[in-house]
Amino acid sequence: MSTVLQAIANGLMIGGFYAMMGMGQNVIFGVMKIINFCHGEMLMVGMYLTFVLYTFFGMDPYAAVPFVAFIMFILGACIQSSLITPSLGTKSFTNLLFLTVGLGTLLSNIALVTFGSSFRTITTSYTGNVVQLGPVTMGLPKLISFVVTIIITILLFAFLKYTTLGKQIRAVSQNSVGAEVVGINVKGIYILAYGIGAALAGTAGALLTLFYVISPTAGSIFSFRALIVVVVGGLGSIPGAFFAGIFLGLLETLVSLLVSPMYKDLIVFVTFIVILVIRQNIIARRR
Amino acid sequence: MLKVRGLNAGYGSIKIIWDEAFEINDGEIVAILGSNGAGKTTTVRAITGLIKPVSGSVEFNGEDLAKKSSRHILDKGIVQVPEGRQLFTGMTCLENLEMGAFNKQLKADFKKNLEKCYTWFPKLKERASQIAGTLSGGEQQMVAVARALVGEPRLLILDEPSLGLAPNIVDDILKVVKELAETGVSVMLVEQDITKALAVADRGYVIENGCITLEGTAGELVTNEHVKKAYLGI
Repeated sequence: MSTVLQAIANGLMIGGFYAMMGMGQNVIFGVMKIINFCHGEMLMVGMYLTFVLYTFFGMDPYAAVPFVAFIMFILGACIQSSLITPSLGTKSFTNLLFLTVGLGTLLSNIALVTFGSSFRTITTSYTGNVVQLGPVTMGLPKLISFVVTIIITILLFAFLKYTTLGKQIRAVSQNSVGAEVVGINVKGIYILAYGIGAALAGTAGALLTLFYVISPTAGSIFSFRALIVVVVGGLGSIPGAFFAGIFLGLLETLVSLLVSPMYKDLIVFVTFIVILVIRQNIIARRR
Repeated sequence: MLKVRGLNAGYGSIKIIWDEAFEINDGEIVAILGSNGAGKTTTVRAITGLIKPVSGSVEFNGEDLAKKSSRHILDKGIVQVPEGRQLFTGMTCLENLEMGAFNKQLKADFKKNLEKCYTWFPKLKERASQIAGTLSGGEQQMVAVARALVGEPRLLILDEPSLGLAPNIVDDILKVVKELAETGVSVMLVEQDITKALAVADRGYVIENGCITLEGTAGELVTNEHVKKAYLGI
């Protein structure tokens, strides 16, 4: 029983990361209707940024989170205004597919050239600390990271729900023509949304560094998971992405425990396909 | 008042409207009439800055707005109720109205303007916290009009407000438009339903294939032989 609880705790934790990735992806998809295929690489960049801040500036990885988020926001905003906004004008999905996939390749190769292919880790004085929560034992870094992901999720919800900018983001997602009519700066919202997406991915990367190896390809697994989260949770839906992320994390750890870690990916993707088929049928029947 | 001269506009290299000229005086309701595809909505988009006119001038209270941003034009008081309403369907009715207050001044005056909207459309008060996408077509149109009114228009442009609505709801909305004009707001009423439009309008222009082919008072247009034949089916 306690192993199941342990697996659930781990699942929630990793699910929090998937949720954060999925929500970032969904903010971007919501306003621009494009899929950001370099989302995982942005997480990887966040990891290396944290690594640099830790190694060269002696900054604690958690203290680095706001800096990483800020730098990633600026990076995202620059990518949006210099590359994505101009290609949106072509209205070609293929263009944007190649653009974002290419960006991802570029980012991971820059990391490869700069840091080499060897795996890096960050070890702090509290890396090995554990916290006992009833029957569940959890590494302190994992617990802190989980709490931070929850806080960020709540902040994102509140931002989108109550602030003027948040409302404008939702307005553009729901109806970009209507948004233009009421004088919302739609291009500005694009930049903001992409910046938020990049910042969320970077933050997830920063929070992962304490218990995950840092490598130029570390993001790819999260890239795929983020796509699953987005599709299962509903394109553009932030709460959907959150719950789908948690669900995916739980599914993975429970399968690893109850079946075998070997079948983890298999079962995750089969479930994904099953959900797609079932939902397609429901949608078809509704029509 | 609005004075449009030699307006040419279109999308990319395709020109839709040709040398349009018309004017709307303060407190006047002017109908812009024409069939589907005649260039009515393009005219609206060109005036409100959603597309940049190729040439021509759009003078509003002495300022040429032809090359200005849509935001600047809104600030000057030209607010539209777009074709197909273009509501934020996942937001509540109240949130939709909030979006209509696009600058600081309007945000400060929002409460006052909201009360005014509620007196015109009492139904919206009951529906304030309901998701806009779940409202009936008529109620959605009321939200669209109210969203524009929150922007304190000096010129209100209504693009096909009757589209897909029951006749009595159209009458309700046009009644509000008429009352609004009496307070000095100019109204540009873009319509396919010529009978309804001319019943409230002071004057009208007919657009065919992107050109204004006829103009006159509402009375003149209703009795015009060409209008009768082509649009009223008499």
